[in-house]
Amino acid sequence: MTELSININGEHIKADVEPRLSLADFIRDRQRLTGTHLGCEHGVCGACTVLMNGEPVRSCITFAAVADGSEITTIEGFDQDEPMAQLRQAFHENHALQCGYCTPGMLVAARDIVTRLPDADEDRVRLELAGNLCRCTGYVGIVKAILSVLEQRRI
Amino acid sequence: MADGGSVDGKGIGARVLRKEDARHLAGKGKFTSDFKRPGQKEMAFVRASVAHAHIKSIVKPAGYEHAIFTSEDLPGLKPMRALSKLPGYKLSDYPALAAGKVRFAGEPVAVCVADSRADAEDIAQMVEVEYDILPAVTDMLAAKKPDAPLVHDEWEDNIVFETFSDDDFQKIADEATVVIRREYRMNRQAMNPMEGKAVFAEWDDRQDQLMMWTSTQVPHLIRNGLAEFLDLEQRQVRVIAPDVGGGFGCKALLQPEELVAGYLTRKLECPIRWIEDRREHLVTGANCREHHYQITLHATPDGRMLGLDCDVTVDAGAYSVYPFTNGLEGAMAHGNLPGPYNFKAYKCRTQTTVTNKPGLMPYRGVARPGVCFAMEMTIDALAREIGMEAHEIRMKNMVPESAMPFMSIAKKHFDSGNYAKSVEMAVDMIGLEKVRASQGVPTDDGRIIGVGMGSYVEQTAHGTSVFSSWGVAMVPGYEQATVRLTPDGGLELRIGVQSHGQGMETSMAQMACEVLGIDPDNVMVTHGDTGLTPYSTGTYASRSMVMAGGATARACRVLAERMEIIGAHLMQCERTEVSIAGGKVVSGKGEVSFAEIGRVWYLNPDELPEDVDQGGVEVTMGYRPEPDSGAFTYASHACKISLDVETGKVKVLDYVIVEDCGTIVNPMIVEGQTFGGATQGIGTALLEESLYDEMGNPGASTFADYMMPSATDAPMYRVDHMESPSPFTEYGIKGMGEGGTIPTPAAIGNAINDALKQIGAEVMETPFTPRRVRAAIEAARDRKEGEAA
Repeated sequence: MTELSININGEHIKADVEPRLSLADFIRDRQRLTGTHLGCEHGVCGACTVLMNGEPVRSCITFAAVADGSEITTIEGFDQDEPMAQLRQAFHENHALQCGYCTPGMLVAARDIVTRLPDADEDRVRLELAGNLCRCTGYVGIVKAILSVLEQRRI
Repeated sequence: MADGGSVDGKGIGARVLRKEDARHLAGKGKFTSDFKRPGQKEMAFVRASVAHAHIKSIVKPAGYEHAIFTSEDLPGLKPMRALSKLPGYKLSDYPALAAGKVRFAGEPVAVCVADSRADAEDIAQMVEVEYDILPAVTDMLAAKKPDAPLVHDEWEDNIVFETFSDDDFQKIADEATVVIRREYRMNRQAMNPMEGKAVFAEWDDRQDQLMMWTSTQVPHLIRNGLAEFLDLEQRQVRVIAPDVGGGFGCKALLQPEELVAGYLTRKLECPIRWIEDRREHLVTGANCREHHYQITLHATPDGRMLGLDCDVTVDAGAYSVYPFTNGLEGAMAHGNLPGPYNFKAYKCRTQTTVTNKPGLMPYRGVARPGVCFAMEMTIDALAREIGMEAHEIRMKNMVPESAMPFMSIAKKHFDSGNYAKSVEMAVDMIGLEKVRASQGVPTDDGRIIGVGMGSYVEQTAHGTSVFSSWGVAMVPGYEQATVRLTPDGGLELRIGVQSHGQGMETSMAQMACEVLGIDPDNVMVTHGDTGLTPYSTGTYASRSMVMAGGATARACRVLAERMEIIGAHLMQCERTEVSIAGGKVVSGKGEVSFAEIGRVWYLNPDELPEDVDQGGVEVTMGYRPEPDSGAFTYASHACKISLDVETGKVKVLDYVIVEDCGTIVNPMIVEGQTFGGATQGIGTALLEESLYDEMGNPGASTFADYMMPSATDAPMYRVDHMESPSPFTEYGIKGMGEGGTIPTPAAIGNAINDALKQIGAEVMETPFTPRRVRAAIEAARDRKEGEAA
C-alpha cells in the first residue's frame, strides 16, 4: 500500500492506496465523487479529465499514488469558479450536452481552453478539444459554447 | 393548436432549454456505474481468446473456486433465444456463458467475482481455458461458400435468413438502356456511446424481487428477457435505467452480462456490479453495420431510374441478439433500398450470414445507412455515366408531394413531404455552382475539391402491423403515458420509453404544456423504470416522441376534461363554460388554478362535485397512430470535401442538412440529434472500422486503433428545416432520432468520387481511409496505363 496525502476540491485527504489504483478509481470509488466519468480507461476519450495542480490530466491513466501531494479539482469542485459558471450556462444555452456522460471532462477541458487561450478561434478550440470525445452532439454546441465564453471573457 | 395555450411559448415548436442539463453540468448525473452498496461484488469475465473452438477444459485456480463460475455452475440459466417468425429464419441460442463451444473472440466463457474489478480481473487471468481450435469464418461472402466452416453445427450452412423478391424487368427493357453496376461494402463498426454498458443487480428479499439498474434504452424489454431466461415471474423483476450515457441501439438489447449479474446476485446474496470497459465494448458487443451490395441500376439516358436489382449480404456475426434478432437488418435492407425513389421494377435478394464475430446489433439507422449508401452512390455513378448533375436525377425520380400518401415499390407507405424540395434547398445551401466553378482551379497544396449529397426517407415510429409482419419477439402496441396532478398543482408524467440524451424530460413536458398550458418546469417526467411507468417496448426506431408524446397528449386531454368538471363546480358554472388555458381552468366568471383542483381532490374531497370522474386526477391513456405503418422523415445532406491526392486524406469543409421531421417539438433538440447523427455518419464514412483478421481476432480494441470522430473531424453543420406534418400522428410529429446518421456516408462518398472523377477513380467501401482512397487512385492510374499500353 502507498500512503497518499492529497487535496481534492479543497479537502485534505489521507489514504492508503494500492500502487496500481488509478486516480479516477480513487476519486470515484473511494471518495464517491462520481461526476468524474470513465469512458475508455486508456487516456483517449477525456471523460475522466480533472485538474491536477491547475492543469488538466486524464485521471484514468494517472495513478493515485502519483497524485500524492497534489491539488485535484473535479467537476464537483468548481462551484465558486467564474469561468466554470460561464461555461455551464453556455453549455446549457447552446445544447452542448445530450446524454451528459462526456460533459464533466468536457467542461474541465473547456475551462482550460478559455483560461489559457483567451484568443482561441474556432479551429484552435476544435484542436484543443480533440482529446475529448462526445458521441452525441457532433461538437456543434460544445464549440459554440466555448467560443461564446471566450467572447464573453474578452469584453 | 387546438389544445389550451402555451405558457410563454414553451409548448410544441419552442426552443425550450433542457431540464436535464443542470445535474449533468454539475457532475451530479446518476449513471449505473455510480451505484455502490455495502458488500457489493464486481464481475470480470473470462472471454474467449479465439474466435471458433470447442472448450476442452476450464481450470479454476486453487483457492478461488468459489469466485469463478462457468455455465455448468449456473444451472437454470437459459440461453437467450430471440424468436422470429420470418419464413425460413433459423433460430439459434445465445448462451450467457459459452457452453461447449465459443463462436467469437471475446465471448464470455466464465465469470469471476471479487470485491473490486481489479481483484476480479486478477482471478480471471488465472483461469486456464484449453481450446480445441476450429477454422473460423470471418467474411460474410466466404461464409456462403459450401466448404465454409459452420458457425452453428446444427445448420446445413451459414445463412441465417434470406429474403427474395422478383420483378419483371422486361417491362422496362426498351427504355432502360443505361445499366450501372457497382459493388459496395460498408464495413463493421462499433457504436461507442461514451458510457459503455453497465449493470447493478440486487435481490430485494422484502419484495422477493430482482432489482436491476442497467444502462438500457428498453427497461421493459430487459425485464421480459430477465424473467424468461432467469426463469422468474415478471413480478419478481424490476428494471431501472438511471441516467444512460448514450445508446444508439446497443442498449436496446439484453446482454449476457445482465443475465449473469441477475443470476449471481441471488445466488451469492450480495449486490453485483459490472461495468463494461471500452475494450469489451469494442470487441465483444455493439458491433454493427457490415453490409455488402451487388447493385444494378437500370435507367434512361436522360436520368430516369426505372429498375433496381440488388444482392445484399449482411454479416450477422455469431449470435442473434435478443429481442430484435439478426434477421431485422436484412429485412430492413430489402424494404428500404429504393429509398424515396419511384421505381417501376425492383428485385432484391438479401442473405444474412453468420460468422465468427460478435453478433450484429441494430445501430442508429439500422440497415438504412447501408442501403442509402449503396443507392445514393449508384445514383452518382449514373450521373457521371450520363453526364448529368446527380441532384437532378434525384429530383426527377423522387416520389412527388402530389402523390402523397404513396405506397412505394418496397411497400412503404409514405405519409407526407416534398422530397425533391429538400434536394433543391440543399443544393442551394452548399452553393453547388460556386463549388463547380472552383473545381477547375488547381490548389497549391495538391488538394482537389468534391461535392456530393445523399437523400433518404426514414420510416419512424412504425408500430404493431410492421413489427408483427417481421415476426420478432417484441411487437409494440398502444404506447401509454400516465399523468397525475399533484396536490400542489404540478404534473407527474410517466412514460415507459427511456431518454438517454434525447432530452425527453424536456420535450415530453412540452407536450403536456401544449395541452394543459402548464409550465414544463412544473412537469416531472419519470421514465426508464418498470416499477413506475406503463409498459413500453422502449426507445428505438425513432419512435419515442411520436408514440410517448402522442400518449402524453391523449392522457393530458383526458385529465383536462376531468379538471374542467371540478373547476366548473368550484366556479359555480356549467361544464361547457370552462376551458383549460395557461395552466388553469378558466371561465367567464374567473379561474381556478391547478393547485386548487389538486387541493380539492386530495385534501378536501368534500368540495368535489357529484359528477366528478372517480378516476380522479390520474390518467393513463394509450396511443397508436392510424395507420401505424410509420411516419416518414426525410432529409437531404450535401457536403464539400477536400482530398489530398498524395496522401488520400479527406477533409469535410462544409456540410449542410435540410431535414423534415414533420411538426418540430423542440428545434434545438432536433438540430442536436441531427448534428450528432451526422457526426456518427462521418465516423462511418471516414474513420471507424472494426477489423478482424482471418482467425477472427479483433484488430481494433482501443480508441488508439478504433478512430472516433473528434471535434477536428466534424464541421460546423448548417441546417434548414421543412415541416410537413404527418397526417397520421398526433400533431403531425415524425420521429427523427436516427436520421442524421443515414445519408452521411453516401454524401461524403459521393463528394470523394466527385473529386476523383477527373482521375477516373471511385471509392466503394467505407471507411474511406487514406489507404482506400490512395488504392482507388492507384487502381485508376494502373487502369489508364494499362489502356495506354
